[in-house]
Amino acid sequence: MNSTLIFQSLISGVMMGSVYALLGVGFSLTWGVMKVINVAHAAFGLLAAFFAYTVFHRYGIDPVVSLVLSVPFLFFLGCALYRFLLIRITSARAVIVSSMILTFGVAIILENLALLLWGADPRLFTTSYTSKVIIVGPFYFQYPPVIGFVMSVVGISSIYLFLKRTYVGKAVRAAWQQPEASQLCGINLGRISAITFGLAVASAGAGGVGMGLLYSFEPHSHNLWLIYLFLVVIVGGVGNVLGTAMAGLIIGVITGLSMAFLPYQWVNLLTFGLLMVILVVKPQGLFQSEV
Amino acid sequence: MAIALIGLVAFPLFGPPVYFISFVFWVFLYVCLSSSWNLIGGYAGYLSFGHVAFFGIGAYATAMIGKIFGLSITMTLLATIPAGVISSFIAIIVGYPCLRLRGPYFAVITLCFSFVSQLTVKNLEFLGGADGLWLKSMDVPVLVNRTIFYELMLFLTVLTVWVSYLVGRSRFGAGLRAIKEDEEVAQTMAINAPRLKIMAFALSAFFPGIAGGIYACYLSYIHPDVVFDVNMSILQVLMALFGGASSWVGPVVGAVSLTLVNEGLSTFVKAELARIIYGLLFIIVIVFMPNGILEFFSRKRRKIER
Repeated sequence: MNSTLIFQSLISGVMMGSVYALLGVGFSLTWGVMKVINVAHAAFGLLAAFFAYTVFHRYGIDPVVSLVLSVPFLFFLGCALYRFLLIRITSARAVIVSSMILTFGVAIILENLALLLWGADPRLFTTSYTSKVIIVGPFYFQYPPVIGFVMSVVGISSIYLFLKRTYVGKAVRAAWQQPEASQLCGINLGRISAITFGLAVASAGAGGVGMGLLYSFEPHSHNLWLIYLFLVVIVGGVGNVLGTAMAGLIIGVITGLSMAFLPYQWVNLLTFGLLMVILVVKPQGLFQSEV
Repeated sequence: MAIALIGLVAFPLFGPPVYFISFVFWVFLYVCLSSSWNLIGGYAGYLSFGHVAFFGIGAYATAMIGKIFGLSITMTLLATIPAGVISSFIAIIVGYPCLRLRGPYFAVITLCFSFVSQLTVKNLEFLGGADGLWLKSMDVPVLVNRTIFYELMLFLTVLTVWVSYLVGRSRFGAGLRAIKEDEEVAQTMAINAPRLKIMAFALSAFFPGIAGGIYACYLSYIHPDVVFDVNMSILQVLMALFGGASSWVGPVVGAVSLTLVNEGLSTFVKAELARIIYGLLFIIVIVFMPNGILEFFSRKRRKIER
């Protein structure tokens, strides 16, 4: 095993991991802020990926450009989902568990809608740049992961800046830290929650297209993506945006390296085993929560 | 109650089509699975999302015992009991670290556990790997064969429901409910929470282990994707919650009604459409009847009586 190959798999691991992080950041946000585990998160991402696929094959519009349409759509879908369904269970004692079941129902619906509309065949974006590579010294970088990486950096940093710099973002953080007190300060908790949820679902759309650039996808793919979501979010600490980004990179590196050294069928086993160990040893995540 | 039981035992003797016997077999299987899940998930409030692992472990343990000792099919059916013990044993080992986690973390770790066990079986050559395992099959007509499995599953299901009923009434069950309400307070009231949780987890893994063994003999071929199917884990959770997870009746009602609905829907409409309606059902149940259909209807009746 030469060092070039190790470095190569390290880099591609980082790029893969950044896309997991982009998919995971909204999931982390709803779990941390609203105590809602959105099991349908990856399914929303899948929906955006399928939409991008259709737009690309019918009109030749680039998958990344299709986000201009699908992200606002998913944002409103997320807001609506919160306003009409989730808001009814937020008063329940076991919000987390109820939300898991409710969104599981949503995930089933989305998955089967995708089956009805697009069929069960695996899909792949074959754009003009899919097979092109950038060569830097001895290293080869494929275009799609690089684009995914850029998307992820842009997406995560804009969510981070939104939370830190804007008024609404500050209100989201306030609502998370002190739900009652923030209401006393004139924050409309219901509206803030709807916006957060919409934002999270919209970011899932970007993450889904990113995943579609890296892997082939079919209506059932969101189940596997969901495991990666849990992994990234739990390692990064629930509700921690930068932690999620870091966790994505770490997991990407681990998967990248294990793909280089292990037979393929052991890679997923390693991933799940890793998640179990982390859950037992450090369930609060590796990074201090700082929001 | 007794009449209904005798009716169920005698059902195959009236010579219904094989389809009905197989269908009722499935209903029993799900009643058994969701009732045993309810011991840890419903009574103690620890939502295990990977309970199918114990089903799969039971299936593989039975198949391996039968294969290693070269047992006949009748003896292999008896081997389901040690298979149940094996899955209980694994539940104790896994439960020891995992049961310290709560809420969603416990749900995620058990889900992971079921994936890990599925992938491990898939990657190990001596367990058949991704090709699956063949078991001996019975040399009897289909109807007799199905009837035998029907009666076996009926027996196991009645046993499971009975145990679930007894646990619900016992001090053990009361302890589990206290843990569900508030684990810290329960521990200050001299309830040994870790021990009770491990016991409940082991017990709730025992019956799926046996059921997995019976299922393996029923199919006479097992594959990791079939006996470790994650949908099965999720279904047993939903069935229990659908009926109402706080009593022994809930999972029974939930499993029977959801299996009927699923079968009915997939007979009349397209499979994808049926699944969409199924998904809508979960949403409706969780939004309007968060404590299960049983409590929803009993509360309604109380309102009318008043």
